[in-house]
Amino acid sequence: MTPTPSLSFNAIGTRWQIDSADPLGAPLEAAVRDRTEEFDRAWSRFRDDSLVHRISVSSGSFELPADAPALLELYRTLYECTDGAVTPLIGRALEQWGYDSAYSLRPIRGITPAPRWEDAISWDGRSLHTVRPVVLDVGAAGKGYLVDLVAHVLVDGGVTAFTIDASGDLLHHGGRPLRVALEHPLDPSKAIGVALLSDGALCASASNRRAWPGGHHLIDALTGAPTKRVIATWATASSCLVADGLATALFFGEPERLAREFDFEWVRMLQGGSLEHSSGFDGEIFA
Amino acid sequence: MNITHRRRTAFALGGLSVAATLVGCTPASAPASPGAAPASTGSYTDGEYSATGEYQSPGGPESIEVTVALEGNVVTEVTVTGNATDGNALRYQTEFEDGIAAEVVGVNIDELSVDKVAGSSLTSDGFNDAIAQIKGDADA
Repeated sequence: MTPTPSLSFNAIGTRWQIDSADPLGAPLEAAVRDRTEEFDRAWSRFRDDSLVHRISVSSGSFELPADAPALLELYRTLYECTDGAVTPLIGRALEQWGYDSAYSLRPIRGITPAPRWEDAISWDGRSLHTVRPVVLDVGAAGKGYLVDLVAHVLVDGGVTAFTIDASGDLLHHGGRPLRVALEHPLDPSKAIGVALLSDGALCASASNRRAWPGGHHLIDALTGAPTKRVIATWATASSCLVADGLATALFFGEPERLAREFDFEWVRMLQGGSLEHSSGFDGEIFA
Repeated sequence: MNITHRRRTAFALGGLSVAATLVGCTPASAPASPGAAPASTGSYTDGEYSATGEYQSPGGPESIEVTVALEGNVVTEVTVTGNATDGNALRYQTEFEDGIAAEVVGVNIDELSVDKVAGSSLTSDGFNDAIAQIKGDADA
């Protein structure tokens, strides 16, 4: 069923696949790689030559790249909708849990909640101002955002129909709609439903992925502890930035509250295995 | 008071992490680690694995024990034993025991006609390497 040809590559530490009706060609493939590298160099918490690394070791004013406003604005809205549970300031707590650049995956004692946004950073639309070093982590929405940015590269390059699959974040643009299995978080050989995706994004997140003994990557900023009530989420929206951010926010916030700010559909699995979904979800749920 | 439910079911190894997460414990045996790799990428020795979790309920300390039987990388039996003494904890544990397998649903992806799979079983390369290392340590 996979359209050919397709391009596979590694970027921001994960696997990507772009399916398109026609080959992208070497110049466009290079442009895609350049875009992902540029994003990684700014936003990666895992390399010591990134902007995020500089912000983590010194304080002051940092001019952010041109792609920053959309990402930070999404984060600010999610921060407000989840009463502070979702924040880009979660980086230090993730490090303390062991999700650091060395992947030590061994939590320290005395893990601290994330600082409040108002106390730690201010953002004037161009520069970020800090009074002390902060560890930013844009993991809640950054990969989805990069999918959108890569899609812009493809559209600018004249590609009319394509699907980008960045390991959990999907964007469909033009062409025949996709049927997408919603992978069971506890059994990757099974699906808990099938979504229909046409000209939009679908993002999935699960707390038992990127998990290690004692912890996982979905940390509640208010407590500094891994969240437990929700174990998997799926969100569809017109952009991958929004779908990815909401897939994370659905672990911490109530869908009704998020729906006041965003146009999206969703499915989530609670601890114990029960499923919830929005009434307008386009697809089937096997429950 | 002990309540034991035994049931035969067949869901993947990862199902254990529900139990482990609920009780806030880290099972000592490697197969029960949260974030166990997809069943297709590893193999585990057949047998019974147990983990006991302790947690603080508003009514005092409580514990819960989960035992699973593994056959050919598939969980063939789950036994959840709650040791709740407090009334509320007893009710919650009972609900959990009743819910654990009954609400795990799914259709084999192989049997569906789909173009893509949306999940997060593929995570970062570095992360997977680190997890493999930790599992190696646990097996040693």
